Amino acid sequence: MVEKKVQCPKCGKILTSSGNPGDVVRITCPSCGTEGKVTFKKTVSTKDAAIEVFNLRKVYGDLVAVNNISFSVKKGEVFAFLGPNGAGKTTTVEMIESIRVPAGGQIKILGKDIKTSFDDIKDKIGILPQEFHSFERLTVRETLAYFSSLYEKRASIDGIIDAMDLKDEEKKLYKDLSGGLKQRVGVAISLVNDPDIIFLDEPTTGLDPKARREVWEVIAGLRNRGKTVFLTTHYMEEAEYLADHIAIIHKGDIIAEGSLEELINRHGEGSIFRIKDCKSKGTVDVLLNRGFKAYREGNGDIAVRIDFKERVLDILSILKHECIEYGTIDIRRSNLEEIFLKLTGAKLSEGAS
Amino acid sequence: MNTKFIVHDLFSGLKQWLRSKGTVFWTLMFPILLILIFGAIFSGVGDVEIPIVVQNLDVDDETGFTEGFIDNLSHVSALDIKTLKKGEDVDEYMKDEDISGALIIPEGFGKNLRDYINPAYPFNESDLPFNLTFIADPTDQSSVSILRSIIVGIIYESNLQITGGEKVIGVEEESSLGEEFEYIDFFVPGIIGLTIMTSMVYGSIERNTKYRKDGILRKLLTMPVTRAEWILSKMLFMLVLSFISTFVILIVGVLAWGLTVKIGIFFFVLIISTSFLFSGMGMIIGRFVKEEETADMAGGAITFPMMFLAGTFFPLDQMPEFLQAVAQVLPLYYVNEGLRNAMIYANLDKTLYFSAFVIVFAVVFFIIGVLLTKWKED
Repeated sequence: MVEKKVQCPKCGKILTSSGNPGDVVRITCPSCGTEGKVTFKKTVSTKDAAIEVFNLRKVYGDLVAVNNISFSVKKGEVFAFLGPNGAGKTTTVEMIESIRVPAGGQIKILGKDIKTSFDDIKDKIGILPQEFHSFERLTVRETLAYFSSLYEKRASIDGIIDAMDLKDEEKKLYKDLSGGLKQRVGVAISLVNDPDIIFLDEPTTGLDPKARREVWEVIAGLRNRGKTVFLTTHYMEEAEYLADHIAIIHKGDIIAEGSLEELINRHGEGSIFRIKDCKSKGTVDVLLNRGFKAYREGNGDIAVRIDFKERVLDILSILKHECIEYGTIDIRRSNLEEIFLKLTGAKLSEGAS
Repeated sequence: MNTKFIVHDLFSGLKQWLRSKGTVFWTLMFPILLILIFGAIFSGVGDVEIPIVVQNLDVDDETGFTEGFIDNLSHVSALDIKTLKKGEDVDEYMKDEDISGALIIPEGFGKNLRDYINPAYPFNESDLPFNLTFIADPTDQSSVSILRSIIVGIIYESNLQITGGEKVIGVEEESSLGEEFEYIDFFVPGIIGLTIMTSMVYGSIERNTKYRKDGILRKLLTMPVTRAEWILSKMLFMLVLSFISTFVILIVGVLAWGLTVKIGIFFFVLIISTSFLFSGMGMIIGRFVKEEETADMAGGAITFPMMFLAGTFFPLDQMPEFLQAVAQVLPLYYVNEGLRNAMIYANLDKTLYFSAFVIVFAVVFFIIGVLLTKWKED
């Protein structure tokens, strides 16, 4: 827990707020009632940071698309930028990629400010833009050779084809590939210069579940090869499956940040131990007397909130010793969708507005 | 300068172009078909007889020369002679019967010839040559060009018989085209201009709208290639394409219609300038109309009327005066006229004049196009 002093932008009063690194804490000025948020940045030493973003801001007319956000991405991790459509993910990643010009803030990639040194960084990054579509009438191998010819430092095209499992498709024209394969080729293109950092902007949007899984395996493979991956997505399962670190963005603000475990521990409701078809009366009372947060749900199931996995054994032991009859049990922990709902009041899959 | 990329881009572009049957068709086959179809329509291929009105105003001739000349005409198998009596309206007859040419033999024609040949009669040198009048329908250049060449041939032969070659008999004509050229000579440079215009405008539009939509421009922004290198490599590809289509059109023109072309430095200057000119125009369109389909429509809205108004298919002087004035502001008009003067008429003064306009247009359009084209997003 750290403390942070902030100044009220309206009355100027100095306020103190406390939170853990990665937290975004709401604060209300006791003098004037102004509401605001205090972000507790998760600090990554510059030496370990692949990407550092400080107070990044983008404005379109009256719309604040990205609102003074700050975060760091560690070398070698998969960093998921999770948020619904229109939350500011692509605007942010495209500012980091130097495609859009920020209204304010600073971005460093591998310690270099992109405003002044982006040309030096180009060799070290690979990107897959959102809805990327390559040249229709080049084969997979020709496509890779084309983009490879731009770089001085080149990865072996055969190596990329093998790693991306594209051997059977290397002679096919891009236009003849399925959606999943096209995205795989898109990822493959981003590897032609053997980059340190790979930006993948919504790489699985529009793909069927099978194709999405295939792309996930490719991304997981990148991490295994030591690459840093900056992934934007609005699929919470994608972030849960792939990410070492997740930043949740909503209406231009980062509302939570951390590993999946940290986010669940900090913002989740723990896990729910659910007892179905319980025939013994008084079970809820038994559990309450033993210090558990138990309650009966609308459908008659008994739900027990558990904070530590060790408590599962305690519940099972109580059920056995008290001769409680029941049908089945299941344990489900909080997920990102629930966390997003809790933090914003909206569903992740429903969009930002 | 990343020359490896530029060369790679050129060959990748050609590969993709060849693999797109539709693009190859519109770039090569379409102009070829135009040449073949228009050439066939306007050049009057086949063994047909072309009707011609012959009106003899020299009906009182007693020398036999006029009669002999008309007799010579009637022996030409390609002519279907319709005789019109003195006093009848030639223009009206031509219009009613849909005949494209008429030859008027003036009064005193036979007597003049006799006077010239027979020293016993007085003769004034300043009366030479004795001119026939050839009335041509400017809307039917194909028949007119054949009639003209036949009449010129008969007159040449007659002069040869009478004087051994001195020009005694001549012909007067108000013609929109140079006397020694045929419609196909006029048409082929127009098709070259048209083909370069469409492939450059649409090529540029594709690069600036489709590549933007597909994320290729965004990707290039993050790669070690400058905008100058990219534009240079694309222009190189487009120039190669321009020359391929130009030479294919020329080869078809030469093989199918016996076209005679003069290829000099200005021919190349014009092809290169034209390519830059219309690439610039495409970039400007692509900058303001970002949706791919809308940009294609905008390209069509600009190139299609220009195709008809800039003297591609018909000589400008056959169009109403206000449309002729419109043509003066259309870049394609200067391209067409420049190419005609450079490769067909071999008129250096006019070539320089029109080339200067094309070069200025090219510089202005290309620079504006490059300045307006941006890769970065808002």
